[in-house]
Amino acid sequence: MSAVISAKGLTKRFGKTTAVDNISIDIPAGRIVGLIGPNGSGKTTALKAILGLTPFEGTLSVLGLDPRTQRDELMQQVCFIADVAILPRWLSVGNAVDFVAGVHPKFDRAKAERYLASTKLKPTMKVKEMSKGMVVQLHLALVMAIDAKLLVLDEPTLGLDILYRKQFYQHLLEEYFDENKTIIVTTHQVEEIEHILSDLMFIRDGKIVLSSTMDDVGTRFVEVMVPAEKADAARALKPIDERQVFGKSVMLFDGVPRETLAALGETRTPGIADIFVATMKGTYA
Amino acid sequence: MNTFKWLLKREFWEHKGGFLWLPIIVGALMITLTVVSLGIAVSGVKGGMEINGVAVSSFADIVTPEERAAFASTIVANYTKLTMPIMIAFGICVFFFCLGALHDERKDRSVLFWKSLPVSDTETVLSKVAMAIGVAPLIALAAASVTAIITALLICAAAAIAGVNIFAEVLSDPATYLAPLQLVAMLPIYALWALPAIGWLLMVSAWARSKPLLWAIGVPLLTGALLSWANGMFRFDWNMAWFWKNIVGRLLGSILPGAWFSQQGQGLPVPGDASASAVLGPALSQSWQLLADANIWIGVAAGAAMIYAAIRLRGWREEG
Repeated sequence: MSAVISAKGLTKRFGKTTAVDNISIDIPAGRIVGLIGPNGSGKTTALKAILGLTPFEGTLSVLGLDPRTQRDELMQQVCFIADVAILPRWLSVGNAVDFVAGVHPKFDRAKAERYLASTKLKPTMKVKEMSKGMVVQLHLALVMAIDAKLLVLDEPTLGLDILYRKQFYQHLLEEYFDENKTIIVTTHQVEEIEHILSDLMFIRDGKIVLSSTMDDVGTRFVEVMVPAEKADAARALKPIDERQVFGKSVMLFDGVPRETLAALGETRTPGIADIFVATMKGTYA
Repeated sequence: MNTFKWLLKREFWEHKGGFLWLPIIVGALMITLTVVSLGIAVSGVKGGMEINGVAVSSFADIVTPEERAAFASTIVANYTKLTMPIMIAFGICVFFFCLGALHDERKDRSVLFWKSLPVSDTETVLSKVAMAIGVAPLIALAAASVTAIITALLICAAAAIAGVNIFAEVLSDPATYLAPLQLVAMLPIYALWALPAIGWLLMVSAWARSKPLLWAIGVPLLTGALLSWANGMFRFDWNMAWFWKNIVGRLLGSILPGAWFSQQGQGLPVPGDASASAVLGPALSQSWQLLADANIWIGVAAGAAMIYAAIRLRGWREEG
């Protein structure tokens, strides 16, 4: 299967700052990729390059097309939610459905209406009358009804309450995703999406510092609860993070076999959030 | 996929207030004012009045047939004047429409939504141009025509109450029906003449990070002021009147319907007799004569270039 996204030496500079620094990645079809990074790490810029919203250096091919020169063709296959609450305030639900149905050849009107019927949105309702959660519901209804090969979600649930957030990802997984589609999602609420991801990428200072499938993450990273007497032996194995809980050391290891670690204490698989914090240590320092 | 039709609908949804309701409201206000002033005039006549010491209770007693005919044709001739308030309202509306067209979507970041759909920058910008020089002026002209006809009928009715029945003269004057068509026939000239202003405003709208109004007006005015100053200071003997008229005037003023009449230096043609066809006919042919002039085509070329620039700018400008 050829890559949905293939980047080599992708770089984007704003004056003297380098927002995206020489990124090379390949994302195959049928994946749900979490692109996780702290604020200002270049996530959004990288996504904008993929979506043809910003010029860049290096080579980048999305579904075999160059986003800089073939954006118009690309947008037949790609859809995105760039941020919450970017729907124009004057737009009504009915107009939004009409417009997308009018301009998008791959829009399934019935599907959008079916989803809208399950919400409190009414056709005459305008975006300016909606809560943030409702705006996202409308946007999701439009996007899910588009049979795109690649869906890019940049902080799609920022500022929403937990009910809307859970509902959002649940619908995405149940109603939208299949093996022919690829989803890239960025978010700060890592814990909420880790169970739906198939791949994980960490980005820091414009560089990809971790790129792995979720299965590999599970075997690669191990967290051990080390009693004080074994602490030195454990430190010799170079944990990437260490914190103290109830007089014991909780250490996070990258690439150390689980059997070796089991001798040092109780092991468990860490959450992405723990790995993220350990990897990004010192980012804002 | 009829993308362009949907893009026009989208513009109409967003700007319904300015492009549909504003002309209707201005027209309704004009009609209301007509009714009120006619009411006052008619009640004055009905109450009895004296003209040259002779008491008259009806104009029928004193109006000669020639005067009746002249009166009737004046009403029809007023057509152009009647459309003016609506056209001025339209001009202001289009000015701000163009200025905001590519700026507001970046400001509220909705550009990210529009760009998530398979619609090219070219189609988007051209739909805004088509709205400004096609759909919107047609709506304004329709509102103006309806207003003018209702006003004419109201005046006829008032005259009839005062004893002078001129319905026949007004309704049988071909100019009554010709006038709206003559105005529509000027639309292509408006589209071509306004293009440099449309292009300039769209370009500024696509380029300015903030305060597009300041840039759009400030740049031409300041350039003109600086050049005028240098001209006076160093006696370059530049033709500054030419600059103000052909650069500043065309970038900003051309957006007003009929602006080309003042540019032609003659103003509206003065009618020999006061009938609408006598005003609009020559105005129409005078307008179309512009096409023989290089001025309009240079403007069209400049406008097209700036529209192209606006399309490119929309491609690379990030939301701000």
